[in-house]
Amino acid sequence: MSEMANTDPEGIDAVRMTWNVWPRTKVEASACVIPLAVSIAPIRSHPDIPTLPYSPLRCKSCSSALNAFARVDFTAKIWICPFCYQRNHFPPHYAMISDTNLPCELYPQYTTVQYSLQANPDPNNPSNVPQLPPVFVFVLDTCMIEEELGFVKSAMKQALGLLPEHALVGFVSFGTQAHAHELGFSDISKVYVFRGDKEISKEQVLEQLGLGSAGRRPTAGYPKGLQNGHSNTGVNRFLLPASDCEYTLNSLLDELQTDQWPVQPGNRASRCTGVALSVATGLLGACMPGTGARIIALVGGPCTEGPGTIVSKDLSEPVRSHKDLDKDAAPYFKKAVRFYDSLAKQLVSQGHVLDLFASALDQVGVAEMKVAVERTGGLVVLAESFGHSVFKGSFRRMFKDGEQSLGLCFNGLLEINCSKDIKIQGVIGPCTSLEKKGPNVSDTVIGEGNTSAWKMCGLDKSTCLTVLFDVSSTERSNAPGTANSQLYLQFLTSYQDPEGKRMLRVTTLTRQWVDSAVSSEELVHGFDQEAAAVVMARVTSLKMEMEDGFDATRWLDRNLIRVCSKFGEYRKDDASSFTLNPCFSLFPQFMFNLRRSQFVQVFNNSPDETAYFRMLLNRENITNAAVMIQPSLISYSFNSLPQPALLDVASISADRILLLDAYFSIVIFHGMTIAQWRNMGYQSQPEHQAFSQLLQAPHVDAQMILQERFPVPRLVVCDQHGSQARFLLAKLNPSATYNNSIDMAAGSDVIFTDDVSLQIFFEHLQKLAVQS
Amino acid sequence: MAAPVPPGAPRPGANARQQSPHPNFNPNFQTNPNSLADNMQNMNLNRPHSMPNSGPRPSPFGQPPPFPQSSVTAGFPVASPPMSRPGPPPGMVGRPAVIPAGPLQSTLPANVPPGRPVGLPVSHPLPFGSRPPPASLSSSTGGAVLPSSAFPSSGVSSASAAPPPPARAPAQAPTMRSVLGSSAVSSPQTPPLPSASSPFPAMTQARPPPPGSPYGPQTWSMQPQQGTQPPHIPGSTHAQPPRMFGMPQQALPNQAMTNIPPALGQPGAPMSGSSKIDPNQIPRPIPNATPIVYETRHGNSANPPPPATSDYIVRDTGNCSPRYMRCTINQIPCTGDLLTTSAMQLALLVQPMALPHPSEDPIQVVDFGESGPVRCSRCKGYINPFMKFIDQGRKFICNLCGFTDDTPRDYHCNLGPDGRRRDADERPELCRGTVEFVASKEYMVRDPMPAVYFFLIDVSMNAVQTGATAAACSAINQVISDLPEGTRTQVGIATFDSTIHFYNLKRALQQPLMLIVPDIQDVYTPLETDVIVQLSECRQHLELLLENIPTMFQTSTTAESCFGAAIKAAFLAMKSIGGKLLVFQSVLPSVGIGALSSREAEGRTNISASEKEAHKLLQPADKILKTMAIEFAEYQVCVDVFVTTQTYVDIASISVIPRTTGGQVYYYYPFSAVSDPAKLYNDLRWNITRPQGFEAVMRVRCSQGIQVQDYSGNFCKRIPTDVDLAGIDCDKCILVTLKHDDKLQDGSECGFQCALLYTTVYGQRRIRVTNLSLPCTNMLSNLFRSADLDTQFTCFLKQAAIEIPTCPLLQVRDHVTNLCINILLSYRKFCATVSSTGQLILPEALKLLPLYTLALIKSRGLRNDGRIDDRSFWFNYVSSLSTPLAIPLVYPRMFAIHNVDTKDGDESVLPPTIPLSSEHVCDDGIYLLENGEDALIYFGSSVDSSILQQLFGFTSVDEVPTQFVMQQFSNPLSKNFNDVVNVIRQQRCSYLRFALCKKGDPSGMAFLSCMVEDKNANGPSYVEFLVHIHRQIQMKMS
Repeated sequence: MSEMANTDPEGIDAVRMTWNVWPRTKVEASACVIPLAVSIAPIRSHPDIPTLPYSPLRCKSCSSALNAFARVDFTAKIWICPFCYQRNHFPPHYAMISDTNLPCELYPQYTTVQYSLQANPDPNNPSNVPQLPPVFVFVLDTCMIEEELGFVKSAMKQALGLLPEHALVGFVSFGTQAHAHELGFSDISKVYVFRGDKEISKEQVLEQLGLGSAGRRPTAGYPKGLQNGHSNTGVNRFLLPASDCEYTLNSLLDELQTDQWPVQPGNRASRCTGVALSVATGLLGACMPGTGARIIALVGGPCTEGPGTIVSKDLSEPVRSHKDLDKDAAPYFKKAVRFYDSLAKQLVSQGHVLDLFASALDQVGVAEMKVAVERTGGLVVLAESFGHSVFKGSFRRMFKDGEQSLGLCFNGLLEINCSKDIKIQGVIGPCTSLEKKGPNVSDTVIGEGNTSAWKMCGLDKSTCLTVLFDVSSTERSNAPGTANSQLYLQFLTSYQDPEGKRMLRVTTLTRQWVDSAVSSEELVHGFDQEAAAVVMARVTSLKMEMEDGFDATRWLDRNLIRVCSKFGEYRKDDASSFTLNPCFSLFPQFMFNLRRSQFVQVFNNSPDETAYFRMLLNRENITNAAVMIQPSLISYSFNSLPQPALLDVASISADRILLLDAYFSIVIFHGMTIAQWRNMGYQSQPEHQAFSQLLQAPHVDAQMILQERFPVPRLVVCDQHGSQARFLLAKLNPSATYNNSIDMAAGSDVIFTDDVSLQIFFEHLQKLAVQS
Repeated sequence: MAAPVPPGAPRPGANARQQSPHPNFNPNFQTNPNSLADNMQNMNLNRPHSMPNSGPRPSPFGQPPPFPQSSVTAGFPVASPPMSRPGPPPGMVGRPAVIPAGPLQSTLPANVPPGRPVGLPVSHPLPFGSRPPPASLSSSTGGAVLPSSAFPSSGVSSASAAPPPPARAPAQAPTMRSVLGSSAVSSPQTPPLPSASSPFPAMTQARPPPPGSPYGPQTWSMQPQQGTQPPHIPGSTHAQPPRMFGMPQQALPNQAMTNIPPALGQPGAPMSGSSKIDPNQIPRPIPNATPIVYETRHGNSANPPPPATSDYIVRDTGNCSPRYMRCTINQIPCTGDLLTTSAMQLALLVQPMALPHPSEDPIQVVDFGESGPVRCSRCKGYINPFMKFIDQGRKFICNLCGFTDDTPRDYHCNLGPDGRRRDADERPELCRGTVEFVASKEYMVRDPMPAVYFFLIDVSMNAVQTGATAAACSAINQVISDLPEGTRTQVGIATFDSTIHFYNLKRALQQPLMLIVPDIQDVYTPLETDVIVQLSECRQHLELLLENIPTMFQTSTTAESCFGAAIKAAFLAMKSIGGKLLVFQSVLPSVGIGALSSREAEGRTNISASEKEAHKLLQPADKILKTMAIEFAEYQVCVDVFVTTQTYVDIASISVIPRTTGGQVYYYYPFSAVSDPAKLYNDLRWNITRPQGFEAVMRVRCSQGIQVQDYSGNFCKRIPTDVDLAGIDCDKCILVTLKHDDKLQDGSECGFQCALLYTTVYGQRRIRVTNLSLPCTNMLSNLFRSADLDTQFTCFLKQAAIEIPTCPLLQVRDHVTNLCINILLSYRKFCATVSSTGQLILPEALKLLPLYTLALIKSRGLRNDGRIDDRSFWFNYVSSLSTPLAIPLVYPRMFAIHNVDTKDGDESVLPPTIPLSSEHVCDDGIYLLENGEDALIYFGSSVDSSILQQLFGFTSVDEVPTQFVMQQFSNPLSKNFNDVVNVIRQQRCSYLRFALCKKGDPSGMAFLSCMVEDKNANGPSYVEFLVHIHRQIQMKMS
């Protein structure tokens, strides 16, 4: 199965697995080298998913939801849970059930169904009854030049116009100090000022904003939560419906100046990002529990003041680099991470999201803030200016409605049920472990583990999680025979959709157990190279972050060699005899590109960029993530349709236009001749309409990608030998370098690098794979 | 006091009964006469053989013991009836008598200008005389001998009865004094003088003797007391003799008894019996009507200044105007021993920015250019008229340290034949006592600061609801236009309740932006720049904001107030520049930094502890505010606090801040939204518009032999020699105590130089140098002759104020009394040895000392009753108080205003003052009593309704409102009344806080408690007090 052919490899379930057939034992599983992992986009929309206006039936023993794989005894009105084999009676309202009258969830094709919990409010959480409007708190940096501030202001105004009318809006600006704007005060613009250099707890924020228990006392007599769907804590002084405060906010933005505190020459502006986020978080803390809220941080530089500081104010001291981190020479890093970690905890406990829009030429501390963004499921966009299309496009996109909507949801809760022999190691992706222990929880932890439930404060339809599994070694002993030939996994994701409705998505999967010792054939055919590559990338990234002195390249190489040794066909010590099953054939190339990618070769990037790339790697679906690892290249030329080209420097040709999609950037690369023609203006001459079309074609395709993708990638249009061409060259296989350039055809190009090319890599791989 | 027994009414009642017995019985009187006869030089009291005080008490006739005070009042009423019999009501009589006397004397005294007291004793007195011309009284005090006859307290009443005598007395006084002066040489002279004096008085008094007294003509002589007294002292006698005449000793008693007691008004009180002094003869201050011209030096020697409370125009002829600096003694004792012997204090009262009289020449500004003013290279004293140029002007000798310096070349000038520089008269620094030098760079650590005004307003629930917030906002709004013009003026504003609200007034904003600082434990300023903005840039915003603030917080339910945090935050905003921080506070600071607890209430619940530790409540609660204050001062932030409250706010703690930063506390209690806003506005306006300076440093230098011992006032002192003043203004006065560290040369002069380096409101750096050079003397009598009563007393007052928070009240009062006694004792012992020990002899210059001392003991700060805050405010107020205002604070002025329309073509708008004795307060009168800060208007119970209508717009005393706003109605009475008030306001530079007092009301009690000459719970009557002093002196002498 070629992934190119299948436009929707994930299907209704939005699931991809590294292995679609599972080895039975732990030993076998570890021999497979590539971990057992499921990548799932828990709320991806799909036209075939039915939405059921009732609550699911839950197994009374393992609380998994009734699903298509349950065995149903229509006469006895009993269903048997496939996970725990518990026999459950159907409740009275299922009395009509029969083999011809099935509820939706029992249709075999509906392995994924969605329940709308709206009609039957959860009795444990009656406050859900009135729909809670979503809350948006903008946290705006003011330490920037007028021009940048102008950009970001206009972006914000635009966003305000796009917000749903009932959405509540809050505003915090910061510079040397953090300003919480009281939007509900009509007489005068009112701002609570928090000093920037002092860590402030949630309680302090609440108290100081007059939202603390003291402030609340006067209204204690009222039943909470009736007005506006909001508790009467006074937080509505700060959070107003967008329709009510749009004018106020607009005029406030008009008057907003850059930070007025003086900056000493030779110093960075003093910027208290940490405190500002604490304040925003604290403010949201006064909201009703269960409110979907997000903090949208617009940051234009590094935090230099108070908690979360990443660098001193002295400009002579550069912001930490990967090298500094490696050498433990980043004095602020750990402290800042600890701070954001605690902020993340607070946000998660409140169920709120932190989105980060960082736009600056230098780093702003994404690496430190990553923990808070990722754990809360926030969005992150890194651009070099608020005037740049990457920021502008992404920011607008975030608030867009309809087709283009990101489908931002809140308060997600993912629970996983699985067959008895399966253990959950953890999840990589934008979520937080809820530390819900259970029999299915593995002792080995990868990512957010130690649990069978995760909180996803923020999630959208493209949010994707990677769940890593392990096979229990005790499985053999009590295998109950054939019944056990299938394994089951069930993902239950409850969340609050953009309209505030409570939804529950249930995806139930089944796969086959296989005894790899018996039949490795099946196992091999169940391998998903793309998914495996992405999972390897994710695991590698995680390990690079978590493990000191982790040598990613070597680790990847070793694993690749092991994979090849296990699944390749060869004669021992005969490299030339080595062949690889087609199911594995692309994998080495993915690994080659992964080794060269920004995820592994971090030294070409700042820690901020690395953090940014990794966050997106972790939250994107397999296809997109694969593009991040191994960009796609399309070639446009006369006389042929656009066609995929080898990701190789050899693909460069003077009369071609190349379109590189490296996910974060899209490069349109004009061959030398094309560029010359274009410069001479042929495209505007009627007789050269074909040329004009050729020029246009990659732009049209690029535009399609730009529109779909979030964050909006950076579009680079360049010519061969131009300075921007480096964006392309960096991604190509250096089959032609200055070392061997003599061999190359004219019009082609060389890459000035000492990196090994794919061919050499393969040669070595074969040699090592066959070694005994 | 008044309450229980309204003057008029009571008579018929029980009182009447009691009274009647009095007059007849007068047992006390009789006893008294026997007991004491004290003659005082001017006031000779016959010694009480028996204890005077004790004497009176024992015979409480009508008065039940429980109400000592009431007894007093009661006394008055009682007195009045008798009075009435004899003739005019006491008050009335008294006054007129006084007036005539005044003029007369004044004429006599031509003395005013008298040269120095060198040879002629007479001359000396003159100056004094001039002062209290009307003061026939004073004279009487000075010289008056009060026989310690039968009429103790009754004396007062007698006064009324025998108004004339007082008049004469004054007349005598001058003479007496003169005598004294001379007497200095030999004490005994006094007696003769009296005789001399007596004639005068007689002359003056020629007018009708007081009522009832048959002795009429001799009225003054009439003093029954003397008669009664067994020992007639010659000196005293002569003054008294007339009285003697009037009152046959024994016979008199009876008569006196009858007549007097009633007159005294204290019939009820046995005390009346105790003293035998004629209350009309005892010294009282007498204001002079027309300003005199005073030259600071005359014939190359210092000219003793006129009393601080008098009206004078200074011509600076070498010494500084006494407004800027005056010494407690106008001659400097050569040795410390001599000073100790005199028991007087040697101190300077320095008021470097004092407001000059409009007719005085302005201070000249001298610019020495880059090099700065010429200074002594050793002591750094500034060039002044007393530096002596020698060697053809090439060198000069410093008058302060004696060092010889070379004259800077470009400052050289030849000497004239008189040894002075030829250009001395052209150079202000060489011929004027006060000049201002333009400061050169070396006097600046930074550019002179702009004028910064930061307003901080309490908007807690209480403040808003009582109208205090609105009042403050409106006052500020009105005052904005009075701020100095120009780009150098910057303003800021903040409000606070449980958080602090700053306002960004930058012009770019459509409306002011409120910046709230919610962390009141650890405050900060919300903006570096735009919180304080040039006035010209934000005027509209500011005005708009001030209009809005009261409504903005109208619905506030925040009861808490974070005063400490708010001023700290405001300070942080101002820190880089400095400036004035004007705080409007309405409730007890309850949260945030420097939060205070309601200590007063806690104290009350634990009474036994509070008795012992009462004064602890007058100390700051903790050190936090003090530490803050010192930091403020360091950064040149001067804090004024306007307390507009209806509750306890712990002024003792709060006041530390203004005190340390050169500011002051304004206290509006209980705040009234009706009557106080006008005063608040006027106070604020004056605060801002009065002459003032910023970032000032002051040092006083003295000639060798004398050194500064200590400074006290509102400032911060970091090093012993200098005083740092974040703000200094024309009202602030600093007490500089001096001590000897060596002997001075008799006949030489001792120089004092006060240098104040400050920045003007308009941003010039200036050094104001004030010089005073006084002769040194070895003669004790000279010291007494040249003692400056007002200054001495102010010095007392300030020292007492300093003691209040640290000592039990009783001790403070004793201390004050002892200070007074010791001085008088010293005089008695060394300068009046000849006179009989039976006489209480007062040095002319200090004759009012006992009266003032008594007033001080009864003043708000030293009384037992009264709220803690009132006392805290009082002693804080005193700490920076100038001499001219210190006196009225303890001894207020009282005027009758029900008849202000009937003034007799006199130039003076002010009606004559009335002695502070309830005896002078009639039932059908309306009186105005002012102390420079408060003004009480007292309504007798039977005031004519048409007068009421004309003055106040209501017709019955019952309609007297609790809150008062001055109004002018279209009738002469009202116009005159308004004129009077305005004159007083001008004189005091204060709008005055009016309170209406009704007889028989607590308000009336408050008024009567100001009658310092009355006996009441807070102390003895004036006469009794004199007796007490006399007895003490006698005891110590023997």
